[in-house]
Amino acid sequence: MSRENEKLFIDIGSTYFKLSTSEHLEQHFRNFNKDILDDLTHKCGNIIKRFDKNDVHICSSANGGLSALIIGISQSFSLKYAANIAFNSGINIIDTVLYQNIEEYTPPSDLIDVVIVVGGINSHDNIFSASLYQYLASLNYSNIVFVGSEKEVPAIKDNIENVVILPNIIDDRLHIVEKYLKEFLTNLYQQDIEGKEDIKHLYDITANQIFSTPYIVNKALPFIDARFSVVNPFILLDIGGATTDIHYSKDLVDDNIVTENEYDRLVFKKLGVYKSRQSLIFAAKENEFVYELLMHLKVTENIFDEESEKATKILMQLAIFLVLCKMSHYKKAYINLKLLAINSIVLTGGITKVLNIDEIENIISFFYKKILTSDHSPATILDSNYDIWTLGAKEKELCQ
Amino acid sequence: MKVITGVVGNDIHVVANRLIDLSLQARGYEVFNLGVNTYLEEFFDAAVETGAEVLMISSLNGEAEGWAREVKLLKAKYKQLDELIMMIGGNLVVGSGNTEDIVSRYKNYGFDLVCHQVDLNTGLDSLEAFINDGKIKERCQ
Ligand code: B12
Repeated sequence: MSRENEKLFIDIGSTYFKLSTSEHLEQHFRNFNKDILDDLTHKCGNIIKRFDKNDVHICSSANGGLSALIIGISQSFSLKYAANIAFNSGINIIDTVLYQNIEEYTPPSDLIDVVIVVGGINSHDNIFSASLYQYLASLNYSNIVFVGSEKEVPAIKDNIENVVILPNIIDDRLHIVEKYLKEFLTNLYQQDIEGKEDIKHLYDITANQIFSTPYIVNKALPFIDARFSVVNPFILLDIGGATTDIHYSKDLVDDNIVTENEYDRLVFKKLGVYKSRQSLIFAAKENEFVYELLMHLKVTENIFDEESEKATKILMQLAIFLVLCKMSHYKKAYINLKLLAINSIVLTGGITKVLNIDEIENIISFFYKKILTSDHSPATILDSNYDIWTLGAKEKELCQ
Repeated sequence: MKVITGVVGNDIHVVANRLIDLSLQARGYEVFNLGVNTYLEEFFDAAVETGAEVLMISSLNGEAEGWAREVKLLKAKYKQLDELIMMIGGNLVVGSGNTEDIVSRYKNYGFDLVCHQVDLNTGLDSLEAFINDGKIKERCQ
């Protein structure tokens, strides 16, 4: 039996899994031919056996998140607010549709996890009509939620099967109301994790709810300076095998959306070096500065076809560069961060096992020089021991 | 009746904006005040989200005309704003100018009511007259 109150924290990533106890941390490359639980008990059975099910806490990022399509009636309010909430809930937005032009959009053929329909303050009516229902009929989706004007609800209910109705995300002063949609999306994400066959088996070893890793990391952010010499404001990049997550403090956002949370996060689903290697390479080739970057790193694009340690390093470096580009004014994304105001960049996830601090700083300074034409150089902090994740898991556990 | 108001562009003169908000409310309008520093697209988007009948833009620092030139082009991209009553007021040029010329230029830019350096109450009276008289292209003074 474990010592009283000692906890075991397990993080299942797409590539590695990590185990942490009060005095010990270990990580293992996953064996993809095995079910996660088998792999875990095979490699770490001795540790797991020591703990009572109540003392084991698991989080997972192995599923890579949910996809959403948003239909709204304006860019500055409904689409912007819904996109913001979806991003903060760890959902990947595959498309946004401006309702007035809905007939001009080609519906994506992929299965969409959730469709969000939004528009109008509660006193506004006659907003949606047949064109919405026709478009929806051509989509392939698992969930649909309406978060627009109350006055539209009867018509929406009549015309859309299984639609979930939540309070409007736009209040009567045109401000954002995050709470309900965020809760709904976070729960969907949670159910998605729990629904995965592989993950379900993990309940054999834990009596606690299994959370998504980004959620746990987000919980750690307010406490991060207790563990590291981080200077605010900072961003945290979690670059792993399938996804890249970026967590940032709200005051870095160049936006007037007022929300309650101090920290937000974005997930880039297809920016990972193992499972989504091909889409990372694709994104890189689309970026006009990448060839210069490769030259700077003294390699050619042939590196993309290699399966070496060197190639993995280069891909990790590219992932840092691409994610910073996506957050900067150079690429108009949903959210632009004030990257010149950042004092620290914290890196966690698989990247800390592949790159050293010099290799990371090299890319960050390349980014600042090339894209932001600045000599700014935020302090780089490597979370090589997964302290952040342990911190978040403990905080979560203390809050329960 | 719903009115969207705010100060266009990079303009931060806030006093008139507060007065406009209060005066409109006192006259019984439902006001959506986007405040200072509001871009044209946000004005139109707010009209779409609220179903407002009137858009009342204010500009004090002299940058109005640059924005006003964009109005027709941008508004044409919206499919349900044809009925929107468009009004602008404040200091509509840099320095001084001939009011007749200014008004006629702004009407060409797509405004129904143009109130260059006109007192607020006079301006709001002319809005009322415009609404009641059924869209006579009334001038502000
Ligand atoms: C206070 C002030 C400032 C303050 C603003 C503080 C704040 N946050 O509000 C500060 C110091 C920051 C400032 C900055 C600037 N200002 Co200034 N400022 C003024 C000042 C002195 C008073 C404005 C005011 O509040 N008046 C009181 C309100 C109630 O009156 P009002 O704004 O005129 O509005 C009335 C009417 O115009 C009307 N109205 C207004 N909007 C609308 C809309 C409609 C539809 C209707 C019907 C009526 C209407 O209703 C109001 C009540 O009757 C004026 C000069 C003056 N005496 O007017 C200059 C003035 C507006 N500023 C001016 C300038 C140039 C600037 C700066 C560019 C200066 C600079 N070089 O940095 C910057 C611009 C900053 C920016 N990004 O916008 C010029 C504009 C000149 C022009 N248009 O050609 C003015 C006129 C001064 C001048 N004579 O040169 N300013």
